[in-house]
Amino acid sequence: MLALDRVSKTYPNGVQALARFSAEIGQGEIIAIIGGSGCGKSTLLRAIAGLDRASAGTVTLDSEAITSPHAKIGIIFQEPRLLPWLSVADNIGFGLADLPAAERRQKVARALERVGLADKAEAWPRELSGGQAQRVAIARALVPQPEVLLLDEPFSALDAFTRRDLQDHLLDLWADTRPTLILVTHDVDEAVVLADRVLVMRPRPGRLFDQIEINLTRPRDRNSPLFENFKRSVLTSLDRSLDRNVPDRDATQGPGQAMWW
Amino acid sequence: MISDAPVLQQSSEQAESTAAPAPSRLARYARPMLGILLPLILAVGWELVVWLGYSNGRLVPPPSRIFATILELAHSGELARHIAATLWRVGLGFAFGVVAGTALGAISGYWSLARRLLDPTVQALRAIPSLAWVPLFILWLGIFETSKIALIAVGVFFPVYLGVMGAILSVDRKVVEVGRVFRLSGPAMIRRILLPAVLPAYVVSLRVGLGLGWMFVVAAELIGASEGLGYLLLDGQQLGKPAQILAAIVIFAILGKLTDWLIEVAALPFLRWQDAFGRAKGA
Repeated sequence: MLALDRVSKTYPNGVQALARFSAEIGQGEIIAIIGGSGCGKSTLLRAIAGLDRASAGTVTLDSEAITSPHAKIGIIFQEPRLLPWLSVADNIGFGLADLPAAERRQKVARALERVGLADKAEAWPRELSGGQAQRVAIARALVPQPEVLLLDEPFSALDAFTRRDLQDHLLDLWADTRPTLILVTHDVDEAVVLADRVLVMRPRPGRLFDQIEINLTRPRDRNSPLFENFKRSVLTSLDRSLDRNVPDRDATQGPGQAMWW
Repeated sequence: MISDAPVLQQSSEQAESTAAPAPSRLARYARPMLGILLPLILAVGWELVVWLGYSNGRLVPPPSRIFATILELAHSGELARHIAATLWRVGLGFAFGVVAGTALGAISGYWSLARRLLDPTVQALRAIPSLAWVPLFILWLGIFETSKIALIAVGVFFPVYLGVMGAILSVDRKVVEVGRVFRLSGPAMIRRILLPAVLPAYVVSLRVGLGLGWMFVVAAELIGASEGLGYLLLDGQQLGKPAQILAAIVIFAILGKLTDWLIEVAALPFLRWQDAFGRAKGA
């Protein structure tokens, strides 16, 4: 289980990005984190990944405190971030350097098969389309079989068609080993399609605003009325999270300060 | 309709590659030929002018005479001796310059405290025209080989130092983060992320450094040498043999291009992943 206990982050320039964010996330759960811009979604994800340390509060995975990148936690970024000097296969095997070569090759081959890029094994990253590159990134993150996989707006740079394709594909891959997925997104559709639970965040400073359970069986029909209902409730919650924020912000910031931004 | 973009791009790429072969065979040979055309016309023209007696070609010897001089030098074994001397100096100076430039550049690039300590001094030294060191090097190291090699090494050092430091500083933070996510140790981070990321810029800095090495070997050999291509230049000037000067210049050009090409070829297998390299080869 992944436990976030009053996680806060204040940057050196004084901006409080995250304030006392608490949540408990069960093994195998799929969580979508959604919120307006500047609500600290990415900050939260980087704290869970161990890439940045929280200023206060703790992140614990199975009662182990996370302060630096951990073997059981993988992350997929908004950009594929493939290493351009490695072939597709070597990129996927990047996190398996400790394994014997034969085992690594076998795992990489299976992963390539699984993401449908078996014929691209020896290609360079520059030869891939955006969607293919992101699939390689997904394979690279999944191949070491993490218990928790973090995704930071992984499909936001793709066109709508490729995005849907990859969302379905991600669920398919998730079903293999059922890691915990924590997905940061600003796409309501994506959140409702993928998540068991949607956490709505509220900006400045970022904190948890609302939780919405998505009780829909998978695979989910994007056109069903139930789906629409969930989408609407997430949207409503999102609206409220932003509306309520307006007087808050006016109260804490003078008119002069606003000019700086 | 949304998937149009990649498909279109692909098909246009295919069209390019399928349409390319027919004209490219012509283009592949014709294009370098275009570059040769001007010097060729000038050479043949000058050859004709001298042959027809419009000029005696004493100060500007025709290509045939330059070529004859090269053959003559080659026959007597002098050419090999001069080339060997010059190559030896460039080689040693280049090696020292590269080692020092790489080491200090890497330290300054990787470790910001070292950069703050070191870089201002190096930059100040870089601002000194390198030839200004010549008298000092001769006083310190004597008139023979050591001072020459030191001068060449100084010329090679600065572009390599700057290239390595700049390359390390400009490594993409996002790629380094990938290394962090996979918990690479310090040495592994250097070997698996930093080195490959730095390599393209490093190769460029080596080529620039080598170019400067060739420049400085001439300076060093003009100052005082009894052998070497630079000596041929000076000897040709003092004895009034322009054909010998031009012969030495031609050989400098050939050796410079050849050594540069060697670096390029040696680096090619490591840089195949780069967009630019593949394209440059195709063009």
